[in-house]
Amino acid sequence: MSGRAITLPYGVGRITPGWLALVGAAAALVGLGAFAYAQQEIHGHIVTGLRDWGSMGGAPWGLYVSFIVYFVGVSFAGITVAAFIRLLRLDYLRPISRAAEILTIVSLILAAFSVLADLGQPWRGIVNLFRYARPQSPFFGTFTMVIAGYLFASLVYFYLAGRRDAYLMAQHDSPLRWFYRMWAAGYRDTPQERERHQRTSFWLALGIIPLLIIAHSTLGLVFGLMGGRPGWFSALQAPGFVVLAGISGIGHIVVIAALLRWALGTPERPAMAAFRWLGLALLVLGLIYVYFTLVEMMTTGYAGREHEQELAKLILTSYYAPYFWVGMGTLAVAIGLLAVQALSGRWSIPLLVVSGVLVNVTAVAKRLIIVVPSLTHGSLLPYGTGMYIPTWVEGSIIAGLMGLGALMILLFMKIFPIMEVPEPSGAEEVRG
Amino acid sequence: MPRYAMTIDLSRCMGCRACMVACKVENNTPEGHFWMYVFRFEEDEFPRTRIWFLPRPCQHCDNAPCVKVCPVGARYKREDGLVLTDFQRCIGCRYCEVACPYGVNYFHWKHPNKAQYLDYNDDPEVRERTGGAMPPYRNPDQDVRYGQERRLTAGSAHYRGVIGKCTFCVHRVEKGLEPACVANCPVRVFEFGDLDDPDSAVSQKLRSSPHFRLLEEEGTEPRVFYLNGTPPSPDVREVMPVKGGRRS
Amino acid sequence: MAWAFGTVWPISCSHEEHAKLISDGVKTGVMAMALKISRRTFLKGTAAVGGTAAAVTFLYRGLDTLAGPEGEPQAQAPPGEEWIATTCWIGKQDCGMRARRINGRVVNLEGNPAHPRNLGTLCPKGVAQITALYDPHRVRTPLIRTNDKGIPGQFRPASWDEALDLVAAKIREARAKDPKLVVWQKGRSKSAALYDDSFAAALGAIKLGHGAFCSDAGYRASEYTIGPHGVLHPDYKHCRYIIHWGYNLTAGGGNKLCWITFPRQVVEAKERGAKIVHIDPRLHSAGPHADWWIPIRPGTDLALALALINRVLERGLVDQDYLLRYTNAPFLVQEDGTFLRVDGREQVWDEVAGQPVPYDVATRPFLDGAFEWQGKKLRTAFRVLREHVAPYTPEWASQICDIPARDIRRLADEMVDNALIGSTVIVDGFEIPHRPVAIHTYHFAQQELGFQAVRAMLILMMLLGAPGAVGGQLIDPGSWKKHDNYDKFGRVTMKDPPYDVLLENSPFFPINSKNSAMVALVLRDPQRWQVDPNKLPQVMIIHMANPVLAFGSSQDILEGFKRIPFIVVLDPWLSKTADLLADVVLPVSTMEKYEGPLKATDGYVDAVALRIPIMEPLGESRSELEIYLDLAERVGVLNAYLEALNKGLGLKPPNVLAPGRKPTPREVFELWAKSQGVAEGLAYFEKIGVLVKGRLAPDKIYGYAQKPPFGGIRHRLYGESLLLMQREARRRGVDQVFWRDYTPLPVWREPTMERSPRKYDLYLISFKLIEFKQARGTNLPLVAELAPEQRLWMHPRAAKERGIKDGDLVWVESHNAFTGETRRVQVRVALTEGIRPDTVGLPHHYGDIARHPWSQHQGPGAGELFFTGPGYIANTADQSFQVKVRVYKA
Repeated sequence: MSGRAITLPYGVGRITPGWLALVGAAAALVGLGAFAYAQQEIHGHIVTGLRDWGSMGGAPWGLYVSFIVYFVGVSFAGITVAAFIRLLRLDYLRPISRAAEILTIVSLILAAFSVLADLGQPWRGIVNLFRYARPQSPFFGTFTMVIAGYLFASLVYFYLAGRRDAYLMAQHDSPLRWFYRMWAAGYRDTPQERERHQRTSFWLALGIIPLLIIAHSTLGLVFGLMGGRPGWFSALQAPGFVVLAGISGIGHIVVIAALLRWALGTPERPAMAAFRWLGLALLVLGLIYVYFTLVEMMTTGYAGREHEQELAKLILTSYYAPYFWVGMGTLAVAIGLLAVQALSGRWSIPLLVVSGVLVNVTAVAKRLIIVVPSLTHGSLLPYGTGMYIPTWVEGSIIAGLMGLGALMILLFMKIFPIMEVPEPSGAEEVRG
Repeated sequence: MPRYAMTIDLSRCMGCRACMVACKVENNTPEGHFWMYVFRFEEDEFPRTRIWFLPRPCQHCDNAPCVKVCPVGARYKREDGLVLTDFQRCIGCRYCEVACPYGVNYFHWKHPNKAQYLDYNDDPEVRERTGGAMPPYRNPDQDVRYGQERRLTAGSAHYRGVIGKCTFCVHRVEKGLEPACVANCPVRVFEFGDLDDPDSAVSQKLRSSPHFRLLEEEGTEPRVFYLNGTPPSPDVREVMPVKGGRRS
Repeated sequence: MAWAFGTVWPISCSHEEHAKLISDGVKTGVMAMALKISRRTFLKGTAAVGGTAAAVTFLYRGLDTLAGPEGEPQAQAPPGEEWIATTCWIGKQDCGMRARRINGRVVNLEGNPAHPRNLGTLCPKGVAQITALYDPHRVRTPLIRTNDKGIPGQFRPASWDEALDLVAAKIREARAKDPKLVVWQKGRSKSAALYDDSFAAALGAIKLGHGAFCSDAGYRASEYTIGPHGVLHPDYKHCRYIIHWGYNLTAGGGNKLCWITFPRQVVEAKERGAKIVHIDPRLHSAGPHADWWIPIRPGTDLALALALINRVLERGLVDQDYLLRYTNAPFLVQEDGTFLRVDGREQVWDEVAGQPVPYDVATRPFLDGAFEWQGKKLRTAFRVLREHVAPYTPEWASQICDIPARDIRRLADEMVDNALIGSTVIVDGFEIPHRPVAIHTYHFAQQELGFQAVRAMLILMMLLGAPGAVGGQLIDPGSWKKHDNYDKFGRVTMKDPPYDVLLENSPFFPINSKNSAMVALVLRDPQRWQVDPNKLPQVMIIHMANPVLAFGSSQDILEGFKRIPFIVVLDPWLSKTADLLADVVLPVSTMEKYEGPLKATDGYVDAVALRIPIMEPLGESRSELEIYLDLAERVGVLNAYLEALNKGLGLKPPNVLAPGRKPTPREVFELWAKSQGVAEGLAYFEKIGVLVKGRLAPDKIYGYAQKPPFGGIRHRLYGESLLLMQREARRRGVDQVFWRDYTPLPVWREPTMERSPRKYDLYLISFKLIEFKQARGTNLPLVAELAPEQRLWMHPRAAKERGIKDGDLVWVESHNAFTGETRRVQVRVALTEGIRPDTVGLPHHYGDIARHPWSQHQGPGAGELFFTGPGYIANTADQSFQVKVRVYKA
């Protein structure tokens, strides 16, 4: 049977011009990022727009930290989706689960890289963050739990969930057969194995959910615990981060799912039901986030200390208003679109994609609003106000990271099915 | 074990900023880094205008936010109260800087040697005169390790990409000297000493003069006490601020 | 070198190793951690992973602290460390300094605790000057100009021999005609004994100081009125009511003790309960120490002083005893304004004799009276004063000065009440009047009416009997000595033309402070000033001065000085003056030199100090003394110079300079130290830095304590000779602008600037910042960073009216009401509530174009907006730093 040449599912191993073009573009971005990072490595962070707050009148955190938060947020999606599939047996979501898991892993790697980009001594960082880890520091959550624990858990989960397909792929004769064999690691997809596989992944999913909450919360606590920073010190910071993470993550999934559906020309996979579920999830989270934002604003507006009020004014009405209102505006539109579809019961993939993109704009804008204003204008001492304008170096490094993410996903698509190979049919076919 | 603290007499300060320069020469801080900063304030309106000055060293808090948040324990507090930075452990995440409500942390955005005001070492004669030391008046005390922990904590002219801040001149304190700002103040605004010693200048001042601590409401428990004055109200205006570095 | 990190960094390591440690910081940093595992933290890290424990720690546990230095060996001084005592060079006050040296490299400058003036502290400039020792932008070889004067210079480096020979030749050439064709212009000369009184004297050159741009009008008023050489300051140790009148306490504008000493004494006085009144258009000069700010309109101080006199006389509480015995208040004045003299002796009206008798034999003279005698109407000078100030009521002054009349009354009353007239104290056995009220003023004198305004202040203090009294009005810190000018100004010394370039003994300036800007005007138009064109300077030596930048009216100085055929500038940096005017620049060392002797008194202790090189001079730069010895030799006046040095330094045999041999500066001061009676000689000063001779005797501080009090002179309440000067000047037919202020008693008139068109609606005043006491300070990066750019200080209201916001770029245009000339500069605005809304201020010592990264492009110099000549100088030729301007957006 191995003799029978059949094409691997979902275009694995097939190099198309379109794919090459995308890879080229992504690689170019990576190159730009690498060059920019070299500049930073040679001259120091002086090449960024970051400066000390206080007498120097700058912001010590900026684009890099905003995107650490953003990337970690995006990672929310994959694992959640996958976990829900296992826990709630939402089988129609299965097709997108792998794309989701990939997204999680990639975005966590990107988050890790953004951390390195932000550190003044990245090489020390790699060593010391683990060697001298201090649980008293909210960063412990960010660096150690999220970027190590969370990433590790996701990888394990991803690996297990992939074994079946690996086995199936290994049935065919291809240059990567050794790789599939290695991944499958003796898994034969017998009923008992499948049963065991189901059980492990169920418990794993169960374990990952709290880890995920903790991870995103601690990220929120990085800001929420800073008593001396107007705009940061708030109990809502942690849950807010979890929800916004969910929003940006699911937003991404929607887009990717649609892309796959289009690119792979598989009209029924993922099924419309999956999109509906995602749409509803996005809608609910969006509403929760709006609610959080309102509560936050009311607390500040009603009882906030002078500096909090000042900062709120700044964000709502003056210097930083554009970012804020772009963020809230995009979210509002997205929610509107989703609500219409939900009520009418008629779901349209293009509209969903639009919402998915919009909410990610929201996510980025909100992160900037969380990180920067409190540093440039959040001083409790009468320092003059500061300002922060990212330089091309910061921009290029972030762009480079995006490119890196795209590159990783593109490459993966060509070595492994980006969607789980369907249960009966696919299996039958290969067996026959 | 002494409990070091500093008092700053606001009724004496004339805002000459000699402490800022004394600190710079003692600790070789680069352009734009003011481990000691002096606010020049105006309040009210002509002709009832009032002007006053507020020196701002590191507050060496007992409940220091910067120490709490440091992910690697590079920022730490000693039993004698000094809050110090281990320049060889710091990874440069600047979390201490954003956590501190006083704005006393300064990050080495470039290598300290590359921001020492003049390109001394480009000049052969000057280089020969200084043996390449940067700045030319580089203080050798900062290469010594202090305390039982024996960490590299003194001065500023060490690494790029790490944080730095006022050390209460740990290298002077361990020689039994006052911090540079204290020793140099022409009108004796500062006192530095041991809170546990009832006869120390700080203890006496604290007994005899009304005092407050900056942003006490933040619960940071500073070790710097301001005498004969009031905390800056939200309507003080800073005049003649120093952004630092070369002219913009 | 990783091993080094595990343990204490080896202090003995060379600079190269230091440099390496710094350069490969990141790498070594990681190595260090790889080597040094702190068990404590390691455990913490692992323990933390245990969930709940971590959570609890995370939320509720306090800070973990690391053990401090207890039981640790104290850090030792690095090997090669040594301390050299010397004296600060950057400022005016000459504070004691100690330089910390590591293997010959100066790493720090600290105040010398043994020095009475600064007690171990330094001002920001003092600390910052350390960069000067290593500044690659200093002039390091003699430079000879290769392009025209008046434009940024092109120079070629030259050897000392070439440069000195050239200079010497020019000097010889000029002296062959007339020694007075050589002009020696100093700025902040640090030791008159080495330069002014010896080198310049040996050359027989004309000497020009910077005083006319400083406070010489005040010096002249003090010399004329009560004798000592200086401007008013309080006896801070005992004063209780202190008036800071245009006095810049917090930025260094004091009488000799410019910054550290006076502020410290003020702070101590305040803590003893003294009250401080601050009369100034700007508040910042008082810092936080003003108990009462009186924001007076610029240029109207004379009016306020007259109103205060008016009110004091209205109260009638004056120190009769002092006025009768030590002033000319009782002298009888005839109708023509001159004193009644009988065979040359001034007369007073004696109650016993019932007729005029010589003042020194009268038993009961009248202080206040009018008499008829031999058909003559006679009034006592005191009565003349009373009638003179009668119209100068507080109401009258309140209009002019923009101060409420009640405030003027209150001020006068509080002065009278605090004067404690009649009280005395015993100081070291002397019973001295106790008058704890005094004025502190200094650069205040830089105004058109400066001379008479300071005279009016003195008359005011005389009425209270404060001059020379304990807690009262002092003049020259640590010395109460009658200056020769007291007698000189008593006579009219006008000669017929032609006059010299200083216009000495001319009817233009009967009292003459010798203003370099006036010299510049003369150079441009000798005929107008009746100066012989053949007597104009041929050579000018500019000694540590930057006239184009730091003096008033930059344009005039540049234009005038350009006409001097040969100019040599001694400066460590290529100053604006050197750049534009020098034919030869001679590089002078900064603090790396011997200089002195330098007064070290704080006003109460007698001490003397030296400047001692703490390092080899940078490049080929040399001390002024070395340069002058070389020059003197080449010019052929070495012996005259050495003789003058012997005299000026007070060298006593056998420790004197032998003629014919050029000594090294070290030898000179070795001899000086020995002559001071210091056995170990110079070594003592290198170690201790200052020779403290003990407390000053009361008669050194308080004129009252002298025998006879005040050296037996009569203080001039009534300035008869001023009247005579005016008459002589009129007789010689000079314009009234020159003699109108020569009046026996101060007369108020509107300053000339008030005649500028209405659109010039703001007063411009200038001041100093603590960062830059003089132009040389702007080359110090550590202070230039603190005040990096010129700013026009302006009140928010004034700015709003003109649509100007903080930081905006504006034009400031000044107008000369006498010539109609206008000048303008562009500058950024800084808003402050600490200045009168009708006044703007510009600090000095910006505007250098010298090629130094920290001093160039700092914005315009204040001097570019002020004018010199009639209307903008005092009657004593002193520069005024007040002018009407308009400000509009650029």
